[in-house]
Amino acid sequence: MTAPRRGNLVTLALLAPSLLSAILLLAIPILIVIAFSFAEQDTYGGAKFGFTLTSYRELFQAIYLPIFLNSLQLAVVSTVICLLVGYPIAYFIALRAGRYAGLLLALLLIPFWIDFIVRMSAWMVLLGRNGTINSALVGLGVIEQPIRMIGTYPAVLVGMLYAFLPTTVLPIYAALSGLDGRLLEAADDLGATPLQSFWRITFPLSLPGVMAAILFVFVPAMGVYAIPVLLGGGKSIILGNLIVQLFLDFRNIPLGAAVSVVLLAISSVIIVCYMRVLRSVEEARV
Amino acid sequence: MPPDTPEPAGASRVAIELIDIRKAFGASDDQTTYAVDRMNLKIRAGEFFTFLGPSGCGKTTTLRMIAGFEEPTSGRLLLDGKEVTGVPAHQRNVNTVFQSYALFPHLNVGENVGFGLSVKGVAKEEIRQRVKAALESVHMAHAIVRKPSALSGGQQQRVALARALVNRPSVLLLDEPFGALDLKLRREMQMEVKEMQRRLGITFIFVTHDQEEALTMSDRIAVMSNGVIQQVGGPVEIYEQPANRFTAGFIGDMNLVEARVTGRSGDRLALDAAGSRFDLQSDLALQPGDRCTLAIRPEALHFVDGDAGPPIRFSGTLSEAVYIGTDTVYGLALADDSRLQARVRNSRDRSIPQTGEPGVVACAPSAIRILTQ
Ligand SMILES: Nc1ncnc2c1ncn2[C@@H]1O[C@H](COP(=O)(O)OP(=O)(O)OP(=O)(O)O)[C@@H](O)[C@H]1O
Ligand SMILES: [Mg+2]
Repeated sequence: MTAPRRGNLVTLALLAPSLLSAILLLAIPILIVIAFSFAEQDTYGGAKFGFTLTSYRELFQAIYLPIFLNSLQLAVVSTVICLLVGYPIAYFIALRAGRYAGLLLALLLIPFWIDFIVRMSAWMVLLGRNGTINSALVGLGVIEQPIRMIGTYPAVLVGMLYAFLPTTVLPIYAALSGLDGRLLEAADDLGATPLQSFWRITFPLSLPGVMAAILFVFVPAMGVYAIPVLLGGGKSIILGNLIVQLFLDFRNIPLGAAVSVVLLAISSVIIVCYMRVLRSVEEARV
Repeated sequence: MPPDTPEPAGASRVAIELIDIRKAFGASDDQTTYAVDRMNLKIRAGEFFTFLGPSGCGKTTTLRMIAGFEEPTSGRLLLDGKEVTGVPAHQRNVNTVFQSYALFPHLNVGENVGFGLSVKGVAKEEIRQRVKAALESVHMAHAIVRKPSALSGGQQQRVALARALVNRPSVLLLDEPFGALDLKLRREMQMEVKEMQRRLGITFIFVTHDQEEALTMSDRIAVMSNGVIQQVGGPVEIYEQPANRFTAGFIGDMNLVEARVTGRSGDRLALDAAGSRFDLQSDLALQPGDRCTLAIRPEALHFVDGDAGPPIRFSGTLSEAVYIGTDTVYGLALADDSRLQARVRNSRDRSIPQTGEPGVVACAPSAIRILTQ
């Protein structure tokens, strides 16, 4: 470390507001949660600060494993679906939409100015037993009885897809729109069919965007709460609603905090590994 | 065509034929300007053919139509006698060396060169051998596992060349391939590429706006302006017998002097140009009163003193003298305000006046070319 110079002090001063808010809004709450996770549960549902590993010991019992696996499965399946749907959309906007690209991006993003819970409620109306989709299908005579959609796993996946589509599309779009069209001409010139050009040139060069998209979907999907509860009826327990249940229903604050800490740890490890991989991919590119 | 069986000398099989090719960008109507207009051309197999012309004259557009990246608005394009209009680029036996090189950044040099063979499903071992041979032929075998970004401009150029040639195309297209290289490297690459073309016997179609490059490398040159071919011919023909004012003015330094025909007897024309009157032999169908342009190279003119020397003379005032090493280029302001340039070898020639003084330059009748268009 060198002695701080004037420039460093100025930088520090300019960064102070963001640093302060990061500390106040991010670091301190996390520290509180960590402290809670080592606390002891008292008889009235509060927490006594101290240092005990009781919560963690309890957490690593077999009954919690399926919940972790549920979360992991939901996150993986959601990520895969988001990629399968998001990649073609990003591809179309970046390489085929021409002057409509801006408009399409805007259409993709505008719904996200509306509050998340409001939009989820809209999905509940759409998918409900007497909801828009069922009424339409019955009205058209496609089905006789309304289908149960709310409370099913596919409904959760639809909600996840809807929630995370923009975060999937944007990084892939960014990677694809930076693609040099002359490379595709060169591939064409060298005899590659359009499909070969895609798999050998376009796709590898869009990988950094895909990797970023995976990160942006997978990590929040691990801790997702509202969507499975609202659209899935909260039937299968995953980390998100486990934490809520532990805090609010069972009043077991230390255990709830411990689950949160483990979730945070898993996400952090994933992010760090990911950044490593991403960097090596970037290096391999240039 | 495999590189080890070059075309026999004098072969005149047509490799590419352009018939009434026109290209307009955007919707075409009566007002349309054509990037390429009514181009008719036959390029022979094994030929080093160059499109030469100023920026924006449609060279790249022509090349892109041959490669298959653009479709002509009208007209027909034949490759090896077969119509290819509508055939996509990857199905044409033509490869391109792009001005920007367009090497794939995520593949190493070997993978770049092997790309064309690999997508065609050539066996791994054969790819390996042919890639190695292609890289050796451009002196880049040592860089086979490097990424393109780790190469200099000249090295990337060589890799781009190898990547195209390894496919043994019947035609290789090169769009200003040396545009980004410095002068010395440019000269080197010109030599190498010319040598390679001779050795492989592949038809090379080359695009440049550098006339010197075109003259030194080509078997034939098409001079283009505003989407239209002005003249097609060998380097000597293009340089010495320009067909019109555009070619005459574009290739090398040239004096263009406006002249009027004052009389005609048999095959001799009496001319009046910038106050000088003289006779020239010509079989052009010019009549008294017609206008024409005289094209004279600066190096064909020299200063004369008295009556000795060639018969055709222009007199004026010496307006400038620019020393360029072995020669000096003099500017002479003529009576009608036009200017002549004379390029004279530096010596202790007493007959050359000082700037501001009157002077007379002369040339032989054979040094003058009469242009009517
Ligand atoms: N994709 C395009 N859309 C519209 N106009 C184009 C397009 N490509 C080329 N043109 C026009 O066609 C004309 C010929 O362009 P072209 O690129 O063939 O010129 P060039 O001879 O290769 O010039 P340079 O030496 O600068 O490369 C130009 O007027 C150019 O503006
Ligand atoms: Mg060009």
